Amino acid sequence: MFRFFRQKVLLPEPLLKAERSLNRKAQCAICLRFFHAEHTCQNSRDLPVVHHKKYVCDLPPNHRFPMGKFPKVLQCLLKDQVITETQVWVPLLASDEMLGSVHTQEYLSNFITGKTDEKEQRRTGFTWSSGLVQRCRYETGGTVLAAQVALQRGLACSTAGGTHHAFPSYGSGFCLLNDLAVAAKHLLTESRIKRRILIVDLDVHQGDGTAFIFKDEPDVFTFSMHCGKNFPLRKQCSDLDVSLDDGMEDKEYLSTLQAHLPWLLDVFRPDLVLYDAGVDPHWEDELGRLRLTDQGLFERDQYVLKSVVKKGIPVATVIGGGYSRDVDRLALRHSIVHRAAAKVWKEYVT
Amino acid sequence: MDVSSDEADDWFMESLHMYKDLHVFQLEHPTKVIEWTSEKSVCVAGYSSPKNEILELLLPLKLYAGDKQGLCPERDFKVQHGGFCDEPVECLRHIFGKRCVVTSGHNSSKLQVWDLGEDDSDVIKRTGVINLERTSAEGRKIASGLTEDPSVLHGCQINDVQLIELASGKVLYAVGTDSLDAVSGLQFVNANEFVICANNGTLYVGDTRHPRIEQYALQASVTRSRWSFGLKTNLPQSDLASCTVSRLSSCGQVLLSDFRKMSSPVGEAQLNLQHSFPSSDFMTVTWAPALDNFLSVSGLDGTVLVFDTTRWTTDLKNPEPIFVHRGHHFSCEAKTDGTPLVVTTHVWHPWRPRTLLSAASDGSIHVWDWYKHIVCLAFFCSWVFIKNLKKKRRRSTCTLH
Repeated sequence: MFRFFRQKVLLPEPLLKAERSLNRKAQCAICLRFFHAEHTCQNSRDLPVVHHKKYVCDLPPNHRFPMGKFPKVLQCLLKDQVITETQVWVPLLASDEMLGSVHTQEYLSNFITGKTDEKEQRRTGFTWSSGLVQRCRYETGGTVLAAQVALQRGLACSTAGGTHHAFPSYGSGFCLLNDLAVAAKHLLTESRIKRRILIVDLDVHQGDGTAFIFKDEPDVFTFSMHCGKNFPLRKQCSDLDVSLDDGMEDKEYLSTLQAHLPWLLDVFRPDLVLYDAGVDPHWEDELGRLRLTDQGLFERDQYVLKSVVKKGIPVATVIGGGYSRDVDRLALRHSIVHRAAAKVWKEYVT
Repeated sequence: MDVSSDEADDWFMESLHMYKDLHVFQLEHPTKVIEWTSEKSVCVAGYSSPKNEILELLLPLKLYAGDKQGLCPERDFKVQHGGFCDEPVECLRHIFGKRCVVTSGHNSSKLQVWDLGEDDSDVIKRTGVINLERTSAEGRKIASGLTEDPSVLHGCQINDVQLIELASGKVLYAVGTDSLDAVSGLQFVNANEFVICANNGTLYVGDTRHPRIEQYALQASVTRSRWSFGLKTNLPQSDLASCTVSRLSSCGQVLLSDFRKMSSPVGEAQLNLQHSFPSSDFMTVTWAPALDNFLSVSGLDGTVLVFDTTRWTTDLKNPEPIFVHRGHHFSCEAKTDGTPLVVTTHVWHPWRPRTLLSAASDGSIHVWDWYKHIVCLAFFCSWVFIKNLKKKRRRSTCTLH
């Protein structure tokens, strides 16, 4: 039913504990000066939510990518009073330098100036536009900011992100820049203190781009739990891949996750978790081949967040993939992770 | 899969823009028949082993959910009824107005009658056998009668075409000709008139009220192939004069003819063939019921080609298809035995304009609803161009950090 792939090398325990304690103090000092933000909510004591109105760009009518979901995720959280405007942090655009730590100069140059060829564009599912470039850079900046804020506050959620099919030199599967990889690389290098980052990718599609980018990086562990028959058919090797059969439902999904996450946290001992809470394992998803319900997604997200936060590890979430022509329903589904985070914040962080 | 997983991933991304809907199903054994039994269900049957399943499949309900697709979970084909046939099924026809199908088998001299069952049972039961004199290697061709009492028109050579009443097995009508041409297909146009296409491309038009049959042969130069036909009618009551007929040859030639003037075709095309000698077993040419002048062709390779024949003339060579369904090449669950993949049959939905079903030799069966591809693409490219032009004019400096 599921297959294991290679695992990362482990560090001895006493060294890890001391390191983590030092990390936390140093992190606080650094992040106050180096938030990648247009607007911060330093005085807010509520769950940090990262959003930018330019997470969107115009697409032709009937385009299969549900671009409209990003502002709707924020709107439904505000409308349902899960959050207020006072806790919304606004990111800066991801800089060339930030993007250059993951993507090749040639790809970035072609991507930013609109010189990617037709074949490359077809694989991404998008036709190039300058609006598209801008929204991808804001989205990546948002994930970077969410990671930074999580390090300081313990938990933070973006209303976008999870573009895990982007490789260093090309985009794929509606992903043009790999936000999780850029965020992880940025946090590895922004401080002199060594950090270990765990990427938990529960989108129904394998995080192939992220797996490829970090295959030789011992300080980043990539864990992907996905449906084997979903895109991409050409799989990469994450540090841990769990490949699920079609049609899996809530109970079996959660128990599979429970079989892996706890030992992974104990053995790898990350300083930060980046969590891709894709909702495409849902039974209504047009592309995903699993059969989770709303309740199943909520329990999944709550389980991940609680497991990580209870161990004192900061976690930043991104919304990941979800495909539906009913954008309102989809946005509501994406907001499940924010609702779970708000609950965990109330119970464990404040 | 014969194609690389990388190519399959490329096609998957492209398919998101080419199809409004695409649902795939994997049969255990391939079918060469797809026959509508209701608005939402089809019948298929195996042809590749001694014991073959006949299945009535319910199409994915998501296809019919319209704007409420998000609320409909069912995206899979469902097997509603099933039964076993003791011979490979070459031809299967649904009997007009009844819950009943008739099949003919490979190397067989009989027709079998099957009851599809209702909601209380999931079994397709054989309810009758009609034994005939002549054995046909390729199976007798069958057409449903369009009268109140169920009947079938069948034949393997023109001179043995008969209309049989299903309930009694009585021969209601027999064609009065001694032509030994092999039958490629036959179809009723209305309650009495019918058209037969022979393997050599000759069309025969008959009327069950008298045995005389009219014959329209092809010109000699184009008869070195095997032919199949597709008739555009307004069932169940059409006037023969208002019907258009298309004929497809195993060399990839397509002829369009009008019954008002059968002396020469009204349109002609030559298709590019992938293989030099495609098997002619699976050639299918059909007219779209709900799109004027749209024609589809399959059986020459692993694709279904859709053409708009509005501008076809008699000297047209190599027309560009308006859409090509390549999905069967990328069926990830399909089994291949090394033989080239071929689409075994396809049908149009009776009233949804751009919905088709197709089956292939690897057991895959697809239902797909394609976008108006060329129009959509042109609009999309021009839309992006105009948007970028407007943005360049508004922005005076680059805002890269």
